[in-house]
Amino acid sequence: MTKSRGRFFNKTMLLLTSCLLLSALSVSAAKNEPVPKDAKCPVCGMFVAKFPDWNASIVYRDGTKIYFDGPKDLFKYYTNPKKYDPTKKRADIAFLGVKDYYTLAVIDGMQAYYVVGSNVNGPMGKELIPFANKGDAKGFEMDHQGRRLIRFQQITPDLLNTLE
Amino acid sequence: MNRRIERYRNILDFALSSLLRRKGKNLSLLGMYTVIVFFIASLVFFIQALKREAALVLDGAPDLVVQRLVAGRDDPIPVAYGYKISAIRGVSEVKPRFWGYYYDPVTRANFTLVASGDDPPGRESIYLGSGVARLMHLNAGNYLSLRGAKGASQVFSVQKILASNSELVAADLIQIREDDFRTLFDFPAGRATDLAVSVRNKVEVPTVAAKIAHEFPDTRPILKSEMLRTYASVFDWRGGMVIVLLFVAVLSFVILAWDKATGLSAEERKEIGILKSIGWETGDVLILKSFEGMVISLTAYLAGVCLAYLHVFFFSAPFFEQALKGWSVLYPQFKLAPFVDPYLLCVLFFLTVCPYTVSTIVPSWLAATVDPDTAMRS
Repeated sequence: MTKSRGRFFNKTMLLLTSCLLLSALSVSAAKNEPVPKDAKCPVCGMFVAKFPDWNASIVYRDGTKIYFDGPKDLFKYYTNPKKYDPTKKRADIAFLGVKDYYTLAVIDGMQAYYVVGSNVNGPMGKELIPFANKGDAKGFEMDHQGRRLIRFQQITPDLLNTLE
Repeated sequence: MNRRIERYRNILDFALSSLLRRKGKNLSLLGMYTVIVFFIASLVFFIQALKREAALVLDGAPDLVVQRLVAGRDDPIPVAYGYKISAIRGVSEVKPRFWGYYYDPVTRANFTLVASGDDPPGRESIYLGSGVARLMHLNAGNYLSLRGAKGASQVFSVQKILASNSELVAADLIQIREDDFRTLFDFPAGRATDLAVSVRNKVEVPTVAAKIAHEFPDTRPILKSEMLRTYASVFDWRGGMVIVLLFVAVLSFVILAWDKATGLSAEERKEIGILKSIGWETGDVLILKSFEGMVISLTAYLAGVCLAYLHVFFFSAPFFEQALKGWSVLYPQFKLAPFVDPYLLCVLFFLTVCPYTVSTIVPSWLAATVDPDTAMRS
């Protein structure tokens, strides 16, 4: 009895870990994968691969990925998903990937710090410039005449409209 | 449709035989024309290849090089500056570089000694550039003696000969260990020749440079984009010395075309008169003359471009060698990588073939509209 229970426990653990591993794998794959050449930004229609330093991505739980040419377009999509793809739900999003301005590494868009109103422009003009840590964001704000330092929760359609 | 093609074929046939009838004149014209196209095309190919070599060289260059200036002259930079620079936001790496020049009195050549790189040679060993190895007849395993700053000679064993995809860079290179470099040149401790700074985000490079210049007023940051711009302006075919050479070449071509265009010989005029009197239309005469022009200019263009290609890429541009060779003893063995830009070939085509063909038509048209009787009598 104890043996079989142990075996069952082992099996569940194996299943659980493999599930965790798989989801972790899909997210890490999103981090390191180069953007496909023909990927187009659903918001502005530009080819994303042309802007390797700026691109951003949304990874859904089913593994589908959508690429954007910059964080601004990502958040336009995120704040108004119905407009761009009514079949997708915001709750199904597994990962928001944006690129840290200084290291150009893909970071978690929900945890990042953003500077708006700076003199650094992205492919679509004014941008939200993402940073992994607050110190970098503050430093950037000083160097590049940033107007505000904000978090993910503060990004609203109204704010995005000011970046047009 | 078939008759039309037949007609053009006949006119082309007539054009070729009329060219052959005036063999001497046309051959000398073709020769002259080919020489001019050859010269212009060689120049364009050569510049293009040099630009590519420069791009290869600069491909590995750091985003930012920081030099220290004392009274406006380069001076070894304290390595400690590097620690502060690497703390600047956006800087991913700072590498001190050690390099200098060594004059060898025996061969009277200048070598570039470099003591950076990921794979340094062993103690008292060196890597040799292909040019140095050639000049001094050295192979891997041989020994090379260098005279140090304090007068004592130091013997280094040659560990390997460097292969490089750009001979321009590697020709005069000697790679050495950093500590050997210091003892050889009696280089001040804690200093480096310059600092190579890498910045991950290229947008941030000017900001980093401005911060370095502000924090260390005795330094001079040099951007990679500035280096690229300098090379581009030196090698650009529309600028610098090249424009003068190109201008002269194009001018000589214009004189040739002008001469041809204005001078339609009495014999040719008579020929046009006869053709018209036996029933040729003005249009036919024009087609005939433009075919003649096209045959000469296309042949000259193709021959000139092919010869230029051979000249530059197979024989390493011997005609330009004198202009290129300066005071140095050690020369890179130029074997430029073949590279032809279709855009430049088109420019060349429109600069040579088109004006020539057009310039042959105008006088023929003038002659062909004259009454055949007058043309034959004149």
